[in-house]
Amino acid sequence: MGLKDKKKSKKNKELSRRNLEPVEKDIKLGPSEMRKRKGEKENNGESGKIVQISNEDNSAKAANDKKKTKKLRKGKVKKMKNHHALDDPPNTDGFDELNDDEVEDQSQFEIQGETGNAEIVLNDDDGKSKKARKKKKKDRDSLEGGKSLAKGVEAVQGEACHISSVDEDCSKEIPSISKKSQKKKWRDMDSSKSKKSLEKKEKSNQDDVYLISSEDESSPKGMKKWIMEYQQNRPGLKVLQQRIDEFIIAHEAKLEQERTEREERSAEEGWQLVQHHKGRKKSKDAESGITVGSVAQAVVESKRAKKKNTDVGLDFYRFQRKEAQRNEIMMLQSKFEQDKRRIQQIRAARKFKPY
Amino acid sequence: MDLKVEELLKEVQLEYSPALTKFVDDAVSSIKQAIDTIPEDLKVTGDEAPGFVRDIGADKVEFNFKKPKSIKIGGSYAIECLVKPEFNVDLLVQLPKECFHEKDYLNYRYHAKRCLYLCVIKKYLMSSSLVGKVEWSTLQNEVRKPVLIVYPVRKLVEVPGFFVRIIPTAPSLFSIPKLNLQRSNGGIPQATPKYNSSILEDMFIEDTEELVKQTFLGSKELREGLILLKVWARCRKPIYAYDCLNGFLISLILAYLVDRNHINKSMKAMQIFRVTMKFMATSDLWKHGLYFTPKGQKAIPKEKRLPYKESFPIVICTPSRSLNLAFRITRVGFLELQNESALTLACIEKCRDSGFEEVFMTRIDYPVKYDHVIRLNLKGKSSVYASGFCLDDECWRLYEQKVHNVLSQGLSDRVKTVRVTWKSMLSESILQNGLSTLSTEPLLIGISVSSLDKAFRIVDIGPDAENKEEALKFRKFWGDKAELRRFKDGKIAESTVWETEQWKRHIVIKRISEYVLLQHLFLSKENIMHIVDQLDFSLLYGAEDPISSSGGLLAAFEILSKRLRLIEDIPLKVSTVQALDSAFRFSSVFPPEPHPLANEKGSFVRLNWFPPSCIRPLEVMIQLEGSGNWPMDDVAIEKTKSAFLLKIGESLQNSWGMTCTATEDDVDVFVSGYAFRLKIWHERGLTLLRRETGNEQVKKVSNVDKELYFRSQHSSMINGLQSCHPAYGPVVRLAKRWAASHLFSACLVEEAIELLVAYIFLKPLPFNAPCSRITGFLRFLRLLSDYDWTFSALVVDINNDLTPNDQKEIIENFMSSRKGYEENPQNVNSAMFLTTAYDKASEAWTRFSPNSVELKRLMAYAGSSANLLTKLILQDHSDSYRWECLFRTPLNNYDAVILLHRDKLPYPQGLLFPSELHQGVHVARGNASKGFHPFLLPGDFKGSSEDLRNKVLVNFDPLRCFVGDLEKEYSNTFKLWYDSLGGDAVGITWGGCSSKKRGREEADEEVKDPINLLKDVGKVGAGFVRGIYLLKAPRRS
Repeated sequence: MGLKDKKKSKKNKELSRRNLEPVEKDIKLGPSEMRKRKGEKENNGESGKIVQISNEDNSAKAANDKKKTKKLRKGKVKKMKNHHALDDPPNTDGFDELNDDEVEDQSQFEIQGETGNAEIVLNDDDGKSKKARKKKKKDRDSLEGGKSLAKGVEAVQGEACHISSVDEDCSKEIPSISKKSQKKKWRDMDSSKSKKSLEKKEKSNQDDVYLISSEDESSPKGMKKWIMEYQQNRPGLKVLQQRIDEFIIAHEAKLEQERTEREERSAEEGWQLVQHHKGRKKSKDAESGITVGSVAQAVVESKRAKKKNTDVGLDFYRFQRKEAQRNEIMMLQSKFEQDKRRIQQIRAARKFKPY
Repeated sequence: MDLKVEELLKEVQLEYSPALTKFVDDAVSSIKQAIDTIPEDLKVTGDEAPGFVRDIGADKVEFNFKKPKSIKIGGSYAIECLVKPEFNVDLLVQLPKECFHEKDYLNYRYHAKRCLYLCVIKKYLMSSSLVGKVEWSTLQNEVRKPVLIVYPVRKLVEVPGFFVRIIPTAPSLFSIPKLNLQRSNGGIPQATPKYNSSILEDMFIEDTEELVKQTFLGSKELREGLILLKVWARCRKPIYAYDCLNGFLISLILAYLVDRNHINKSMKAMQIFRVTMKFMATSDLWKHGLYFTPKGQKAIPKEKRLPYKESFPIVICTPSRSLNLAFRITRVGFLELQNESALTLACIEKCRDSGFEEVFMTRIDYPVKYDHVIRLNLKGKSSVYASGFCLDDECWRLYEQKVHNVLSQGLSDRVKTVRVTWKSMLSESILQNGLSTLSTEPLLIGISVSSLDKAFRIVDIGPDAENKEEALKFRKFWGDKAELRRFKDGKIAESTVWETEQWKRHIVIKRISEYVLLQHLFLSKENIMHIVDQLDFSLLYGAEDPISSSGGLLAAFEILSKRLRLIEDIPLKVSTVQALDSAFRFSSVFPPEPHPLANEKGSFVRLNWFPPSCIRPLEVMIQLEGSGNWPMDDVAIEKTKSAFLLKIGESLQNSWGMTCTATEDDVDVFVSGYAFRLKIWHERGLTLLRRETGNEQVKKVSNVDKELYFRSQHSSMINGLQSCHPAYGPVVRLAKRWAASHLFSACLVEEAIELLVAYIFLKPLPFNAPCSRITGFLRFLRLLSDYDWTFSALVVDINNDLTPNDQKEIIENFMSSRKGYEENPQNVNSAMFLTTAYDKASEAWTRFSPNSVELKRLMAYAGSSANLLTKLILQDHSDSYRWECLFRTPLNNYDAVILLHRDKLPYPQGLLFPSELHQGVHVARGNASKGFHPFLLPGDFKGSSEDLRNKVLVNFDPLRCFVGDLEKEYSNTFKLWYDSLGGDAVGITWGGCSSKKRGREEADEEVKDPINLLKDVGKVGAGFVRGIYLLKAPRRS
């Protein structure tokens, strides 16, 4: 878990907390925060996306912020390192990654620029309040840091993991979503708009809803497991070839062993297995006692058919004919009965109403 | 068949019980009473229905009311031929002579007075306490001849919705020669045959009623025949219409056949039916005209027949020879009737059970019969009645004719039939305010396409440029669209060009019809609703139909199969290569798009968009040269196959530089943007299996080779069919999309859907094979919902391959699968028994699913979807939301619902509508995983192209993994419903699929704590599941 994650997680925590506890938030937040929220609301109105996406906007903002407040951030990072290093393995690459991340973010913005006016407008909005926010943020960050320290590490720990994953995904999502919006895939934006308010309400009591914890190192489940399995199943042609060869060798050995065992067993019982090898290749299946081999099925069948022809015809004897006749009548009768039954069934299902 | 017909007759015939007759008599006498209260010599003026009188253009309409001369029951009730569910009694009210003048046949005076007379009756009926509701209606859609519909207050349970129709008659009111066909009476200089017939009809109603009565009351068989014919006709909306057939005309035709001894006394009802059908379909007498010849009279001389023939396409003349009773039948209507009768005869001949289902039980309406349906909204369109409401014919009929002419000329040989009908609805306010408000119902046009090749044609070549006169006409008709073009053969001719992309060819007809309607009728575009492409949204991938990239796919496959056959460095050579995936036969909903990374090694362009990270492989079957060295047991065979495939992959990689990835079971190769999954079919595996089942009677779960055999057979069969019917592909795709979007992916496999749709094309009776996607789709839905799955097998026989022996075998197989039905209707193997030439026991596709519970659900969904679609086509819904509803599934029909993260679906563009849920208990929520993303990200592009290529996941589908994991663990606890094409919701219903034998209780016991169970379910899909909602807890026993 990189440092940047934590940083984001922090910010995100605030966001999510805002979503979770709207009432509390109103009391707690400063004026700039209020403004930010307002902006966000506008965004929501404009883009008409589901809340999830509005979250992304925030993360985009976050990225934006990050760019502008690099210096500020370094300080922040240090501060955070203090209390987060406790529960996470130290990450020395923190800063490098941060830079990398920035590059990525920038490229994302380029994409975003392409996507449409709505989002550009968003960013402009950001720009206006950026200065003010920068200041406030500093204050808030320090405040928050202190607060969370006071609250104890557990709370952070509990949520950090889940939120960080969200955040990273969000930032990754941007291109895909924007692309989608480009292609106008989300057809029923209108409906989702109306649902949004509902959803928000729902979010407020999402605290009660059980959260599926995804990360269990010993036995990964879900997406992680599937991807792992996918990768494991593809070790490369050579390895596979080898495995199959091994299997076949083992298999043949096993068959050989079974055969010898069988022979031994029959030998024990006092029987001598006599094998006859002449002409074409034959093999014997002990279970069924049927010759299995390259004898064409068709040949056997045609032979059998030929044999049948020499048999006495089915209607040779008088009793046979009589029997056949009787059988036929019986068949007809049973068929008639069956038809009658069927009619009843259909009638029960009222299948005769042509309307 | 006979048994069924008997049952049908029993079902539809109305029993004339004492209670019923008393009820009817009471209703009639209450009406009589009400009429009796009307004071004699009441002054009636045009103010009763000012709008009506004004608009039909009548003058001098005042009269003094006199009581009707007689009131008697007529119509089908009188001849005991009432057919359920229509319960109505015709009451013939004879208009008194005193109310009319001798010359009232002129200038619509008769029609006006007739209407005013009814107005008075209505007024007094309304004040009667025994009469519930009185409404206006028309006689055979003729607005100038209204009738009254009276609902009595008292109701009888046996006859719901009973009403009495009051029809005025006017025997010998006017002099018949004055109403001769050549005379003009309607206020215009030309002859007015329709107007005259309209008055004459009223004058002769009672006589013809009498004739019909005499014919039918004597013979039970004849009455039954009539009932059958009525049932038949009523199923067929396009011919059971005012300009074609009605109950009265059917009885007349029957009476004529009796008169002509075509039908004799010894015939049974079904024979009568068939004789009549044959007569309608083929008889030459229609050209001659049907003339009743009363005893002692000579046949009608030619000179007397001539005027009828000139005025009307179809003639059914009364015995008095002064009126053509079929004066409303149009040429198109009659052609349709002949067509329909011919199809019915074909049904009787060719279909199972003499076509009972097809003939009597199948509803044939516009949406299902015609390939294209156009609705014209002509509300408030004044040009309809610009030259007067009623001339000889009514303006609405004339407008129909005009629309028909314009469309037939515009569409020329692209279409077989253009059927135009326009229903008129009469109401009190129309009588008051005038007829201009009448046209509230849309005008309906049905179009049958002659052949798709013609329908898809892009250039229509008109007359030669030399031919000035014709060219001018052409230009006049087409306006700006006409172009002078030089063709390849050097000809210079007028022409019209309808340039369209390949995948939009089905819209050509729509474009033409819209153009000509705009051009000639000055309609605005939003008033023309042409139903043809409304469902296309479900097949688009992005903004385009992905089917357009199929050409590239086939080319890629050609390359692959060529290279496969060239391989030298494996022990056995590749002998045949066959494509198995539905994308190769144009029936895949989303045939894959070429992937930029799935090509041969080497060049790799920087992309300005993000390619998807998943790629769907297409299965390709390979057959190797025969060899005796194959191992004998299943496992070893499969391993050997894998070894072969690996060798093949390696060889391809070495000699062509193709990319190849493999697991132990599958080998995938990339060719020009597509991934192909190679499979080897080992023929002997099949015989091995056969022997096994033959000897040990073990029902083995399908063996790999057997499955491959089925798939290859199926593939070539559908391929053949697809090339004969170009409409097949789109219909299948819609059907698949429908099934998937209602979460039936698990129940109904793709191949089963393909077979069902194939059935529609192979056995189209009582229709012709569909030529448009929506019609085909509707028929698929109706087949699914109406077919008698429990008692019949569905046989798809593409080239008539099946011999009688095969058919016997199929029936036996079917019977054995239905053995268990008697004890337990749930316990049926292959609830949907689907057989083909390659699979006579329904083993291939529907052996295990759908089971009877799933099938029930499927049928219910199909039924309601079919009804919705029909409604959408016929009624005024032009908003796209309603059309989308066909593919939106209600999530409240499940016991619990799992919502997935949309952006973790492998093919996010396959998702039609994002699902949300606002009911039930929100049990769990989850966050999206970061390990997977459906698109390659900019970060992924940093590595080498080799790394990048490894990031493309072949056949990775989290939904499939998720469902697989769940089924492994919980298959006894609940059943999953999902959409494999990219839906983001999974439905859960309690009670497992395999638990039904063990009884429900046990299954229920397992689900003690549904909430915790669902939480565990969420854990299985961690990183993929967005939320889980519990709607219904399992029932406690």
